[in-house]
Amino acid sequence: MKRLGVFLQEYGVIVALVALFGVNLLERGTEFLQPEILRNMVSQNAYTGIIAIGMTLVIMTGGIDLSVGSLVALCGAVGIIVLNGVGANEASTTLAIALAGCASLAVGTVAGFLNGFTIAYGRVAPFIVTLAGLAAFRSLALVLGNGGEIRSTVESYKEIGFGGIPIPGLQTAVGDPLIFYWHAILFLLIACFASFLLNRTAFGRHVIAVGANERAAHYSAVNTRRVKVFVYTLTGALTGIAAFTLSAKQNSIGTGSAGLYYELDAIAAVVIGGTSLRGGRGRIWGTVVGVVLLTLITATMTTYRVNTNWQGVVRGAVILIAVLLQRGARAND
Amino acid sequence: MKRWTWMPVAAAIAAATIGCSSGSQPTGGTATKPGGGKFKVGVSIPAADHGWTAGVKWWADKAASLHPDIEWIIEDAKEPSEQITDLENLQSQGVDALVILATESAPITPIAEKLHEAGILIVNVDRGFTKPVADVFIEGDNKAFGRKSAEYMVQKLNGKGKIVVLEGIPSTVNTDRVAAAMEVFRSHPGIEIVAQDSGYWNREKAEQVMQNILTAHPQIDAIWASDDDMALGVENALRAAGRDKNIWILGGAGMKDIVKRVMDGDPLFPADITYPPSMIAVGIQTAAGILRAGKAEALQYMPKHLMIDVELITPENAKEYYFPESIF
Repeated sequence: MKRLGVFLQEYGVIVALVALFGVNLLERGTEFLQPEILRNMVSQNAYTGIIAIGMTLVIMTGGIDLSVGSLVALCGAVGIIVLNGVGANEASTTLAIALAGCASLAVGTVAGFLNGFTIAYGRVAPFIVTLAGLAAFRSLALVLGNGGEIRSTVESYKEIGFGGIPIPGLQTAVGDPLIFYWHAILFLLIACFASFLLNRTAFGRHVIAVGANERAAHYSAVNTRRVKVFVYTLTGALTGIAAFTLSAKQNSIGTGSAGLYYELDAIAAVVIGGTSLRGGRGRIWGTVVGVVLLTLITATMTTYRVNTNWQGVVRGAVILIAVLLQRGARAND
Repeated sequence: MKRWTWMPVAAAIAAATIGCSSGSQPTGGTATKPGGGKFKVGVSIPAADHGWTAGVKWWADKAASLHPDIEWIIEDAKEPSEQITDLENLQSQGVDALVILATESAPITPIAEKLHEAGILIVNVDRGFTKPVADVFIEGDNKAFGRKSAEYMVQKLNGKGKIVVLEGIPSTVNTDRVAAAMEVFRSHPGIEIVAQDSGYWNREKAEQVMQNILTAHPQIDAIWASDDDMALGVENALRAAGRDKNIWILGGAGMKDIVKRVMDGDPLFPADITYPPSMIAVGIQTAAGILRAGKAEALQYMPKHLMIDVELITPENAKEYYFPESIF
């Protein structure tokens, strides 16, 4: 029993993933194994996924970042404004798209740095600082978009959102080559990078140390403030990347709606993945699986035609069960 | 079916398309794909964040249930990226047609374009795409909504009075309504707009906004609330402030509670204007009709753009617009 407990603690999220997958196979048979569906499973929530990677590190330091959803709207808005400005000239669309990406990344990085700096040096609780960000970044985006959506005038921008690398030998249902989208590729690459950072570098050990016991880390000559500034800055930068790919896919940005609830989805993925909200313990791969699990929950409800009014209940229950499994196992330690 | 009388054009078209099919009974169970099997249709709508969208959901369920010979998958989304996910999932389930009421116009346009290119019949309802990628686009006449409601207000005030203008969620729907109404108000110098703000088509937000406006303006004659949810929020604010006398509210959309009060001659609600959420049902009916008749054939004569007229509800005609069994 105890060994089962330990197993669930470690791999509960994978058990949940496999179970949900099986439930879909039961209803839809091998049709559910279409490459297109599997591709969508990784790519659909990749925007929140990219953000959730940064969120994992933030939560591991014992912090939280509630501002990421609003920051998506702000980064996207600035990106599209730059895109439209530079891309007005037909010849410079490639440059315009590149600059839009840079602008989005820059805004995210600066905003993340401001969050981190205020938290680390202003000694304000992360919840409060990023709650302020949640309000302020959305508001700035609304100002830029005059309350509505900002449309891109560069038609080829959407190719960033729909483009990617064709997977050799695989096709969509209508016979086109199956494309693995850029944002999904970025999601996986960033996850690998963060995993390396966390497990193989001194910085990773510092993140864990700060989250486990900040005072002890401080006495052990870990620059706890710098670690904090870094994780929030990184999360901001990743949010900028997510905003760039998201606005490309929509070829516009809805300043009131883009990134809405992304902070909650990202936190949910991190927690489902087995990272402790109390800090000090976490894993990147768990977050990646958590993101895929969230996508799979949505797909499952579509499969079973769950009335959309009930979907929140199902989603909440799955999140709770995934966490309880891990929590219950931990109590047995 | 009484409600179809609101939309003679669309009803006629829908009836015509059904008439072409093998069975004119909506429950005939005769619609099959050329290759055999049931047609599959996805319906993607915004989540019920206010009464009107709740009405959309209700009418979508109701309309879909009239066609059991077609497999319907109804999904709602809080915001565009969730809706894109829904649409991709529907595509992977192999839908023949999609009825889409966009959460927002521009962000849904690229995915709609891709789906259209993939050969899926696209019926777009209410909030339009920014490019003509829909096979059929059905919307309410929002400019007429703004114009007719504003003209009524000016007329009832005899061209003179202090009014408040409440706007909805930023969107083409809101822009068209407000722009048309403002044009009417501006052409009557006796009408003074003392305040203009957004209540996001939401009861609580409208109540808050109205509370602030009431403290700033001692004299207000009427409120152009542009939505029945907001109208009810405004009413709460008026009652709380004891200002619910010698003032009236013009909402919009034809919520049954408001229509009832118009019918009963409530001085706070002398009129309302229709904007039926049942237009989603027109979209569903249209998609079903086109699939039954054969997409290529039906699209030869289907208009690409259907505009549903809006009408003023007054105590005299309110009975025709009152549906107690409707959710909205």
